[in-house]
Amino acid sequence: MVVYSLYILNKAAGLIYQRDFNEGLKRLSSNDYLVLSGTFHAVYAIASQISPVPSSSGIEVLETETFRLQCFQTLTGTKFLLISEPRQQNTDAILRRIYELYADYVIKNPFYQIEMPVRCELFDRHLATYIRGIP
Amino acid sequence: MTIYSFWIFDRHCDCIYHKDYKRPYRQLRSKLDFPAGAIDEKKQTTGGPPTGKGPLSVDDDAKLVFGVVFSLRNIVTKLAGEKESFFVFRTSKYKLHFYETQTNLRFVMITDLKVDGIRPILEQIHAGLYVDYVIKNPLSPVEHKNGVGVNNELFNLGLDRFLRPLSIFE
Repeated sequence: MVVYSLYILNKAAGLIYQRDFNEGLKRLSSNDYLVLSGTFHAVYAIASQISPVPSSSGIEVLETETFRLQCFQTLTGTKFLLISEPRQQNTDAILRRIYELYADYVIKNPFYQIEMPVRCELFDRHLATYIRGIP
Repeated sequence: MTIYSFWIFDRHCDCIYHKDYKRPYRQLRSKLDFPAGAIDEKKQTTGGPPTGKGPLSVDDDAKLVFGVVFSLRNIVTKLAGEKESFFVFRTSKYKLHFYETQTNLRFVMITDLKVDGIRPILEQIHAGLYVDYVIKNPLSPVEHKNGVGVNNELFNLGLDRFLRPLSIFE
């Protein structure tokens, strides 16, 4: 099973972390990544507005023929987007685990400024080990 | 399982057909330039221009729905290539199914979470109903300008007769 990439968006739609793990999707310029995360942030908000039933969340899963995008929004408004193969199982559990890693190695890092781009070596390392270990 | 609503958008990004089957929440103001009968249930009508919090008109809702599918499709083509498109997205309360034909006609169906894999149904609505009753109708215009939309009794009836017996319609 293949996990293509991970995006972390802060609550103001800024892209604070982006990483590709496997080949398979097109590479974009860093500007395009910013546009993409901004667009997704907006669409996420509108999707909860057009709901025919009350109190719907935004987009949780987007399925296409080549990939599957899972979104997890934390209580503080940070969004984790995971792009994987369409057949990848348990993507929501993977995201929760990544959130734990983020809490441990980014938020608890005293030098990390909140809402700013993530540059934490420990987080990178643990994330890479975890993603490699996913069956 | 439930179908909440069904939409068709043409290649000019206009909503040419819309039908609400069930709308437990967020009633829309009816819009006069939609064909009679296309709006199933009685919508509460409020006068005056739309305010920030009042009910949306069908037109405004169509713009939001189209905005969502259009932006998502753009994201997908950016990541996976020009020919790719998504077929469904899910939130905690509903699912939105999407099908785009070669001629950029976009079919959107909003259902509850239990409905799965209805792409064949959308394809059938296009191939069996839309082509037969709208495209092959010599009186039907090629482009549906000015919000008139598919004002076609046969298509209306055919769609109803096709959807109601399905197991996803309850």
